Amino acid sequence: MAYLEVRGVGRDFPGVTALNNVDLSVELGRTHILAGENGAGKSTLVKILTGADRASRGSILIDGQYPLEHPDLFRKIAYVPQELSLFPDVSVAENLFMPFDRTGHGGLVNGRRLRAEAQDYLDRFGIEARPGDLVRHISVPDQQLLQIARASTNKDMKVLILDEPTSALTAREVERVFRVIRSFLDRDHAIVFISHKMEEVFEIGDDYSVLRNGELVEAGRIDRIDEPGLIRAMSGRAVQIDEHFRPDAEPGDTLMQVENLSGPMFHDVSFKLKRGEILGFAGLVGAGRSELMQTIFGFRKAAGGRVRVMGQDWRLNDPAASVKAGMLYLSEERKHHGIFPLLSLRENIGISVLSLTSGAAGIDFGKERGIVGQVIADYGIRASGPGQRISTLSGGNQQKAIIGRAMATSPRILIFDEPTKGIDIRTKAEIYRIMKSLAEAGVGIILISSEMTELRRCASRILTMHGGRLTGDFDAATTDTETLVGAIFASAPGSRPEGEASHV
Amino acid sequence: MSDIPGTAPRRSILGIFLRNPLAGVFVALVAIFVVSALVSPYFLTGYNMSVIARGLAFVGLITVAQSSLMILGELDLSLGVIGGLCGVVSGMLMIKAGLPPVAALALALALGLALGFLNGLLVTALGLHSLVLTIGMAGIYGGAILVLTKGVAITGIPQSIQFLGRGDFLGIPVPFLIMLAVLALALFVTLKTPMGRYIYAIGNNAAAARMLGIRVDRIRLMVFTLAGFLSALAGLLMVARLGTAQPSIGQTWVLAPIAAAVIGGVATTGGVGSPLGAIFGAGIIAIIENIIVLYGVSPYWQGVVSGLIVVLAISFDALSRRYLRRETA
Repeated sequence: MAYLEVRGVGRDFPGVTALNNVDLSVELGRTHILAGENGAGKSTLVKILTGADRASRGSILIDGQYPLEHPDLFRKIAYVPQELSLFPDVSVAENLFMPFDRTGHGGLVNGRRLRAEAQDYLDRFGIEARPGDLVRHISVPDQQLLQIARASTNKDMKVLILDEPTSALTAREVERVFRVIRSFLDRDHAIVFISHKMEEVFEIGDDYSVLRNGELVEAGRIDRIDEPGLIRAMSGRAVQIDEHFRPDAEPGDTLMQVENLSGPMFHDVSFKLKRGEILGFAGLVGAGRSELMQTIFGFRKAAGGRVRVMGQDWRLNDPAASVKAGMLYLSEERKHHGIFPLLSLRENIGISVLSLTSGAAGIDFGKERGIVGQVIADYGIRASGPGQRISTLSGGNQQKAIIGRAMATSPRILIFDEPTKGIDIRTKAEIYRIMKSLAEAGVGIILISSEMTELRRCASRILTMHGGRLTGDFDAATTDTETLVGAIFASAPGSRPEGEASHV
Repeated sequence: MSDIPGTAPRRSILGIFLRNPLAGVFVALVAIFVVSALVSPYFLTGYNMSVIARGLAFVGLITVAQSSLMILGELDLSLGVIGGLCGVVSGMLMIKAGLPPVAALALALALGLALGFLNGLLVTALGLHSLVLTIGMAGIYGGAILVLTKGVAITGIPQSIQFLGRGDFLGIPVPFLIMLAVLALALFVTLKTPMGRYIYAIGNNAAAARMLGIRVDRIRLMVFTLAGFLSALAGLLMVARLGTAQPSIGQTWVLAPIAAAVIGGVATTGGVGSPLGAIFGAGIIAIIENIIVLYGVSPYWQGVVSGLIVVLAISFDALSRRYLRRETA
């Protein structure tokens, strides 16, 4: 019998059945892929597995026993969420062993012993930080690995659920995570792996289960299924995945010219964005791409240089002026920079079109309902209605709402920062199609992405950055991935491989 | 999600109240009103009603101001003493400087605007935490009252302006009508105008609001300034009602409006609630304080009772949120 057994589990919310009759068997020593689109019910299932939520029907068995009768059994299941949930101002060692009583550090905390034991974990997980460092000061990939290490300090843990553990990592760092996963499997543990990246799923998986609309649609051994088959199971239909989404039209005249722009995380950057092109930015996490774009947008202060849009000097340090002049920046931090969590879908979308919907008598609610309804329909946002609180939508639907809201303002320059992070394949294709049609309508688009395939499928031109400097300018159609990766790792001339190198 | 076959939506009466905090606090207000009318024969008399309404008017103005700031994610603990200081200054301008009453009132209102603006400026320009900053500002403004008055009330406020605090119109106290007008305006702004939407958005997620091109600091500055104005208005109406400018005006206007806002469903963390709910909350506090007096209970118990209501209200809020999360997570 499998270590973790789920039998006929269902979960109802008012008006919605989030899970229905789901079975799942997780065996020790194997990696189980949990696949499904955004909103398929994966998070609900994970919550039930970890004891954070209760099933309406069906049962769970951990090691042959019912955890609802023996709540301690839930300690056998560890969950590493996609978002970082560490204590930023607390040391690496303390983060690892909190809560102390579960990790054998109860009573009085002995700092020296804590740091010594922490070093073991850091070595095993290949984390290049010292036990005494504050988490705030270590790199994002190290934080992601630390989060996995923390789950494993729980001595009772047998099943480790990893929710998109690689979404902020580059290929080299993903390899580190996989090494860690494999070392777990030697130790008679099981992994449940949630990811939208197909190559990872096939590299690390042993078994798979696919959820769609809350139901289990397929399960089996991963070597019995291929990539198109898995995608078909998740989306319910075949999705063309090797299609290109580069704008067909030739790029027009120069829309924006960045000259010698510098800021805290980037130095002396110059480039041009043409009308109707999708300009890709490749680089490692921390290469300065987001900081550069946020500075152009005005969210961060520029230290030097200038930006010209259609020949006019661009006002820096003022995001409100940027939005007014037709530039929008869609952050990769959906939670921190995107949604208004306690407000409804209608208010979240309506906020960017208030100039269209309001007059002397205030906001015209009828007009607002019309525009919001149009955005919901155009972007295929799945919700019970415009009054639904946005934080209760799935990540993909939140992202579509944010993009739809931006489009409703008819921008001239759009900056997408990792627009498909944590988003399923079908929704990804929808977002690519939106970018393409916008570019063909004359909008200048900048696309920051850590996925080389994404850049190569969407961008007309790809600029590479390393350590805050531009290291290359490539035609997307004719450049191979190796050349791009070389430029990202700064083998290009004139670059300074500093700081970055320690994260690779 | 509508495209998933599932159970029909359950709509219990309890669920509706839990989902709509405004309905919940309104029902609580009505229930307390009815119970009060049943337990005390004096409660429903015209005189007692006008006492409650007049008392509610002053705290109500501060409550509208404070709840708007709370929705924005800020808090101003100096609103009460701004009211007191403006009241005292208006009295000095009328009596000591001999200014015409209307000019004195206008200048005092302008002072309220200026003090609110100063609080907002320090919060936005220096990035100070509003709660901590306004503890300090409350000390400064409160100290200024004592420096100006040396602790002695200014008497002899002209009869001509006393109707603002003491008068009735159609049997309803004038300050209560003024408070209702301000409330109506605040509701229009929060529900129907872009400014209102921005206030909620900033209270939810200020960084996201900035990314959307909302001038976050400008909105903050405006709400702080208007809050200062409303506090000054409350202070002036109180001077008109008392007929003297007392240095103690505003001292009880600090915690009660925050308690009222919390009872009325405004989150201390910002982003949700409505000034209307906050006024309902203020109404609940006012009725309970009134009943305590009518019953001849020692007024020393008032603090205990109104504290208890706040604890009950936030406990109920937390429990209902937990219930909702289980239903719709």
